Amino acid sequence: MGFFDNIMLGLDEAITGLFGQWNLYTSAIFTIFAGFLAYQIAARQDPDTHPLLLARQAQASPVRHEGESPVYRSQAAPHGMPLNTGLSVKDPGASKWARGRDGDLRDVWRQAVAGVQEDGPSKGATGRILTVLGTENVTEYPLDDITRQINLIGQHILDQGGNRVAIYLPNSVELIVTLFACAFYNMTAVILPFDQPDDAVISMLRRSAADTVVTAPGSFPFDIVVKNYPSLRQLIWVVDEGSKHMDWNEVPQGTGGSVNVSTWQDIVNDSPVDAGKDLPPIEGQKEPRDVTIFWQSKPGTAEEMVRFTSANIMSAIAALLFSVPTSQRMGPSDLFLPADSLANTHTLVLTLGALYSNASVAFNSVAVQANDLAIATRGIAPTIIVATPAALLKTHQESGGSLTSLVARNLHWLQTRSLTQNGVMPVAGLLSSYYDRFRPALGSKPGKLRLIFTAERIGAETPRLSSTVLSDLRALAGARIMYALTAPKVAGAVTQTNFYDYRAFDDECSHFGPPLTSTEIMLKDTDEHKNTDALSKGEIFVRGPCVAGSEAALNVAGVIRDDNTLAYV
Amino acid sequence: MEYVEKRVAQEAAKGAEATNSLFTPLNLMLLGLFVFTVYSFVKPQAPAALPKEEPAVVFKTFTPRTLLPFNGENNMPVYLAVRGRVFDVTRGRNFYGPGGPYANFAGRDASRGLACGSFDEEMLTKDLGGPLDTLADLGREELEALQGWEDRFSEKYLVVGKLVAEEKE
Repeated sequence: MGFFDNIMLGLDEAITGLFGQWNLYTSAIFTIFAGFLAYQIAARQDPDTHPLLLARQAQASPVRHEGESPVYRSQAAPHGMPLNTGLSVKDPGASKWARGRDGDLRDVWRQAVAGVQEDGPSKGATGRILTVLGTENVTEYPLDDITRQINLIGQHILDQGGNRVAIYLPNSVELIVTLFACAFYNMTAVILPFDQPDDAVISMLRRSAADTVVTAPGSFPFDIVVKNYPSLRQLIWVVDEGSKHMDWNEVPQGTGGSVNVSTWQDIVNDSPVDAGKDLPPIEGQKEPRDVTIFWQSKPGTAEEMVRFTSANIMSAIAALLFSVPTSQRMGPSDLFLPADSLANTHTLVLTLGALYSNASVAFNSVAVQANDLAIATRGIAPTIIVATPAALLKTHQESGGSLTSLVARNLHWLQTRSLTQNGVMPVAGLLSSYYDRFRPALGSKPGKLRLIFTAERIGAETPRLSSTVLSDLRALAGARIMYALTAPKVAGAVTQTNFYDYRAFDDECSHFGPPLTSTEIMLKDTDEHKNTDALSKGEIFVRGPCVAGSEAALNVAGVIRDDNTLAYV
Repeated sequence: MEYVEKRVAQEAAKGAEATNSLFTPLNLMLLGLFVFTVYSFVKPQAPAALPKEEPAVVFKTFTPRTLLPFNGENNMPVYLAVRGRVFDVTRGRNFYGPGGPYANFAGRDASRGLACGSFDEEMLTKDLGGPLDTLADLGREELEALQGWEDRFSEKYLVVGKLVAEEKE
C-alpha cells in the first residue's frame, strides 16, 4: 500500500471510529440542535423597519454658521422644502389632486362629524366621544349632541359679550366643546392648567385678560376671583350630574354683582331642541383666532403664557399625525385616551389629531392627578394613550417588580431581545401568553393598547425615561412608545422618537428622536458647549410653523447623537 | 469491493464495544457546536450604524483678497462670488476650476462677467482692496442674465459665505 492509501485508511478508520460512538445521547443532542435551528429559521422575522433608517434619522444642512450646528430636519421634510404647515383640508367638491387648505380648529370638528372621507371599507365611519366616570360609568356623547353644545355655548358666550374665554376644567368633553365653540364663534380660547392655587388662577386670568370663565364648581375660587379680578364679566359653571338640582345661577349677596353667571346644563337644556344643530357655514367665516395656553414649569414658578396662532396648532397636528407610519395611523377603530392634562399642547394637539382622524376619544378627569395609568384606563380599552412620564415610570416599577421568578425574567429577556436586537415588536404567541400575566393592567381588555405617546417637558422636572425603561415598557405593555421633547413655545412637540425605534442604549435619559416635519432644530454655542465639525452640541433652538413666533430658544443644552437624534447633554 | 468487505468485517468484529457514555468525543464535539451556535444567535449586537456624515461647511465672510486662494489650485475648493454670495462650485470643477472655460472666475467676484456673458480678465475687479462692483452701469438685459445665472447657482451649488469689501484702515 502506498502512502496515499495509508492516509485514506487512517481517515476511514477515524471517521468510522468517531461515528461509531453514536449513542442515545448523541441522538438526543442532535435532535435538540436540529430543533433549535429549525425554530430559529421558522421564527425569524424581518425587523419592523430597516435598521439603517434608524441609523441616521435626521438630515443635517450642508452649511452651518460659526458658533452654530448645522440645521437638522426630519428625513421626511428635506432642506429647501417648506415644513409641514397644516392638514391639507379638502373642501367638499374640490379636485382630488388640488392641494388642500392648512385648515383650522373648525375643520378638525367638521372632519370629526363628517367621518372618514377616503374610499375604503371605513368610509363614512366616525369616532365616538366617551366620558369615563369611575370604573363602570362610561357615557357616550353623540356627535350631533356635541355639535349642538358647541353652537349653544358659543352663541351664549358671544351674546353675553364674551371675547376671551378662559377654560378652567379637568380633561372633559366640556373643555373640548368650549375650545371648538371659541373657534366657531370667533373668540379667543385661553386654556388654564387645572387644579391650581387661587392666586395662580387669578394671575393667569389677569395676564390673559379673560372676560369669561368656563369652570367647574368646587375648584374655582369664585368669590376671591370676583374680588381681585373685576374684568370678569361672565361665568359658566359646568355642574356635575349629582349637584344639578342646586341653583347655581344665584350669585351670593355682595359678590360678583356685575358677573353674569349661568350653568352649562341650563344653556344647553333650556334652548329649543332644534336650536344649534348646524355648524356655522364655511363660507364667509372669519379668520381663526389664537389659542392661549399656560406652560407650567416647576411648582412655585410663574406659568409661561404662550399665544399660539391657529396655524401653529394646525401645523403641530399635521406633523404629529404624520409621525405615525401610514399603516399605523389613527383611525375609526382606535380609542384614544388623553391621560395627561389637555392644558399641555402635546396632549391637546394629539387629541385634536385623534378627532381629526375620526378615532374615538375618551375623557377621564381622574387621569391627570392620579398619575396612575391603571386607574386612568379603568372601564375602557384604549388603543392609544397619551401618558405622563411619571405615570409610565410608576407602571414600569409596578410591573417590573412582578418579574421576579426565573421564568418571568427569561421571558422578559426574550421579549426585550426581540425588540432591541431584532427590531421586532413581539407578537402574541405560545411563550408570550404566559408572559401576559406580568403585563400591567392598561385598559379593560388586555392586548388592545398599541401606542403610547409621552413627552419630556423642558424645565418642568418631568422624570426622565431611559431607553431601557422605554424598552421594558414596550415589552410589558405590548405597545409602541413615542417619546417627545416638548417646550413652552412649541405646539405639539419639537422632536419625537421614531415609531419603530426600539433600540436600547446605556443612558440615563433616552434620546428624543429627530425633529418632526413641522420643526427644524439647531444648536448654538454656549459657554460650556461648543459646536465643532465632529460634534453638534449647545443650546437648542427650534424654528418652524408650529413654533409661536416661528423661532424659540429652549434654554436647555442638547447634543446630536451619531444617529442624528437629539438628546440632552 | 474487496476493501469494503474487509472493513465491514473489521468493524463488525469490534461492534460490541460501543460506549454508552454521554462524554464521548463525538458527543462533546456536537455539544460544543450546539453551544457555539446558540451563542452566536444570542450574542448582543450593536445597533446598525452609518459612517459619519461629512462635516458641514462653516459659513464664512470673505473679502476679495481672502476669496482669491479658493481657485481650485493646490487642492483648494473652487469658490466664486455672485452679487455678494459665495458659491462652492467645486462640483463643477471642469468648468470653473483650473483649465476650464470659466477658470478666470475661480476665487473672484464673477457678477459682471456672468452678466455680460464674457469670460475675459477685464470683467474682474482689479483692485482687490477696493469696493465691490456695484454693477450700477449694467442694463436690464444684463441684469436679467445675471439673475438667471444666480438662480441656476442657487439650485445647483451651496452658498458657503458672503463677499464683503475690505474695510479701510
